[in-house]
Amino acid sequence: MATETQDGTASAEAHAAGLPQFDLQWWPGQIAWFLIMFLVVLAFVRLFAAPRVGGTIEVREEKISGDIADARRLRDEAEAQAAAAAAETAQARAAAQRVAADARARAQAEVTAKLGEEEAKLAAKGAQAEARIATARDAAMANVAAIAADAAGAIVGKLTGRAASPAELAAARGS
Amino acid sequence: MAQQPAIDPMHQFLIHKVVSGPVFHVGGLTVDMSITNSVASMIAGAMILIVFFALTARREIVPNRGQALAESLYNIIDRVLVGPIIGHEGKPYVPYILSLFLVILVLNLMSVVLAIGNIGGLDLTFAVTSQLAVTATLAVLTFFSVFLLGFIKHGPKFLTLFAPSGMPWPMLFFMVPIEMISYFVRPVTLAMRLFGNMLGGHVVMSLFGSFVVALGIVALSGGVATLAFIPSVLSFTMIVALTGLELVVAVLQAFVFAALATVYLNEVVNLGHGH
Repeated sequence: MATETQDGTASAEAHAAGLPQFDLQWWPGQIAWFLIMFLVVLAFVRLFAAPRVGGTIEVREEKISGDIADARRLRDEAEAQAAAAAAETAQARAAAQRVAADARARAQAEVTAKLGEEEAKLAAKGAQAEARIATARDAAMANVAAIAADAAGAIVGKLTGRAASPAELAAARGS
Repeated sequence: MAQQPAIDPMHQFLIHKVVSGPVFHVGGLTVDMSITNSVASMIAGAMILIVFFALTARREIVPNRGQALAESLYNIIDRVLVGPIIGHEGKPYVPYILSLFLVILVLNLMSVVLAIGNIGGLDLTFAVTSQLAVTATLAVLTFFSVFLLGFIKHGPKFLTLFAPSGMPWPMLFFMVPIEMISYFVRPVTLAMRLFGNMLGGHVVMSLFGSFVVALGIVALSGGVATLAFIPSVLSFTMIVALTGLELVVAVLQAFVFAALATVYLNEVVNLGHGH
């Protein structure tokens, strides 16, 4: 390099000495073109790309959250229905149990009432029978006394040859 | 060893005219609107973006790959940066931040991916984002848009940005100048960060690329020099690894630029809330 002294080499050396980026002759053109290019991209992004891409993302998120909300609502509805059905079942079971218990109680009461009735009937019959027995016995006892008096009179008549008066008989029986 | 190619990693940043265009004289400034290799890359980048979104911005509920990619790019700005940093009020600024991100991303990626053409000697690509003129334009545009927005939204109250609240007033004599310096240095750091990252990466890749060729030519001369194939192959391996790294840097720097722009925007949109 040192042996060459041509102009081209000199300018190349001048370039090599400093960064080409600091060569100010290209700055205005680059800046102007870059601003144009950047503004075109900015307009494109502002008017087309950003609203379209951002809008799509928002639509998707709304759809997803909407779908999730729908699913959640449906699940809640199903759960509410299941709960209502369970409540109904429980109610029905309680009603059935109540009816069964009522029937049992009624049957029990009927049985008890009948039992009481029968017992009362039996007791009344027993009492009547006892009363009948008592009258029969009293009658029999009375007959026995009469028979005894008759027998005593007959015995007295046979032994004494004379009939004993009823007063004597009554007094004898009484003693 | 007659004509060894000179190792000049800066050559790739040289601008040359492709199609001559009109030259305007604005004041003392000469604006050459010629299509240079830099301008051609910018236009290609813009066209890639427009064609990509025209094809992928569909309205399907179930996205295909292209639509998913477009939506991911949008979500990086909307859900990762603007949403968490600025909040709901940041929605109107998504297109601007997204444009920043996409333009830097596509230009960065083009400068790495299309560099494959350089192997065949095709000058397909040009690292537009390693041009300070371009990164400075982006940085200054962003900075002054935010600055103007601050004054439009808050008027003179915007200047309270430089006076941190809850501070004894004598401290303000120190704090206000410091805050102002750190504020107005922002466009410089924004521009230099992107410029430096892209410049450095491309210089290193170019250096290793030169080694591959130069050492390969040396090795072809035969004899002991054949051993030069070893570093040549190693350099090639390095290029492969560096290309991977540069792809990461390309995406990361686009993200960092967008993230910082979002943070700066947040100070203006939520003035006095975030401090």
